[in-house]
Amino acid sequence: MTTEITANGTQLTAAFRGRLDTAAAVQTAEDIKPLLEATNREIILDCSELEYISSSGLRIFVTIRKSAAEHGCKVIVRHLNEDICQVFIMTGFISLFEIQ
Amino acid sequence: MDTLDLHNQLILDEYDACMPVLQRFERVLHHILSDVLDKNGLAVIAVTTRIKQKDSLAGKLAAKGHKYSSLTDVTDVVGARIITFYTDEVDRIAAVTEQSFDIDWENSVDKRRLHDLDSFGYNSLHYICRLPRTMIYDADCPQLNEMRFELQIRTNLQHAWASLNHDIGYKTGVEIPHEYVRQINRLAGMLEMVDDEFSRIRTEINDYRRRVQQLVQNDKLEDVLLDGDTFNSFLQVRPFEKLNRRIAAINQAEIREVPLGGYLKVLIALGCRTLDDVVQLSKKYSEDAYALARYQLGNTDLDIIASSVGIQNICIVCILEQGGGKIGLTRLFNALNGEGPQNALLAEQTYKQALNMPFMSRS
Repeated sequence: MTTEITANGTQLTAAFRGRLDTAAAVQTAEDIKPLLEATNREIILDCSELEYISSSGLRIFVTIRKSAAEHGCKVIVRHLNEDICQVFIMTGFISLFEIQ
Repeated sequence: MDTLDLHNQLILDEYDACMPVLQRFERVLHHILSDVLDKNGLAVIAVTTRIKQKDSLAGKLAAKGHKYSSLTDVTDVVGARIITFYTDEVDRIAAVTEQSFDIDWENSVDKRRLHDLDSFGYNSLHYICRLPRTMIYDADCPQLNEMRFELQIRTNLQHAWASLNHDIGYKTGVEIPHEYVRQINRLAGMLEMVDDEFSRIRTEINDYRRRVQQLVQNDKLEDVLLDGDTFNSFLQVRPFEKLNRRIAAINQAEIREVPLGGYLKVLIALGCRTLDDVVQLSKKYSEDAYALARYQLGNTDLDIIASSVGIQNICIVCILEQGGGKIGLTRLFNALNGEGPQNALLAEQTYKQALNMPFMSRS
């Protein structure tokens, strides 16, 4: 599991690759720290190469969303695969994020 | 800068010498004012402080002759201003000011009361105060308790009028014709009416909210029309908590609180007109909403859900039972997430997940 963060103007993009399971969540939580410090940015969570998300992964997404709201940032989740999309729907988090 | 005689020049020199103390006093004053407002739960638009500019002080000294014997006689060398949202808040802050600071009543003035019945103009409440020792004391800097400051309290509209009036009337230094003065003061009268109207509307809205909360608490929901205010009051009694807890129990999940305000549009689109309609909708579809969640989550180890899951599933079941199908679900996601092509895909996924549910055969 890797997380690559790139900046482009006011946009910050985190590209997730692999399986965001409980084991990977600890490192991912470290990797996404720059997103938690961002203010007045558009944060893109690019999931085009994210294969799986566990509850720990969902918690990381929710943490990013909460921090973004507190710092005037907008969060957009892009390219969820079918399985992960179902996870967002069945847990009710689908309405918490802007999904593209 | 105005040319001053020796007496006033000495006061101006005193001003220069006192500048470090004035700067400290200004910082302390800003902190104390913000703190006092916070502690009394008073939200305001702005708290500002300033030290009188040297040329402004020189102008004042020149204009007043030998009125002042020393710098401490000038009551507005340090000034503070509190800008409020509503007129009634000016009086609330006045009451807090009188309780918190030592007031120099002789020099304090309520400009709002200076107007004759048939005149309008500058409206603001001015206090001349000192910081009491109970609030701050530094043996090395007794001036903190000796210096006076001017506190102006006014509404945002009073502030706007005063600022514009100052800009128009005094900036050029040329006396403006009577007709223009009349027009500017006419605006003051109009803004006074607007201020009073805002206060009245705010009071009425608060009364309405209290009445709605009372109705919600007394379960008289059929009398309460569904709108943004009433829905917020309704959400405070956590109407979907029981269903959320049942759903959370499927995987012993934690429930994360998320905003539910977005569901107002959905509920209205589903035909709810009163809060009682929402309750009836919830009662009618809760069991199937739970069954859908159990079917979806039961074979996963997901142990976190959003507090929106209950109402979301109620809406999904309602739409599908009423034959709304994928189009209805797309509209649901359009309402929740904003319109976009992804909503059709979300609807497709949701529809697929629900296909095996018994309620689908009733649609």
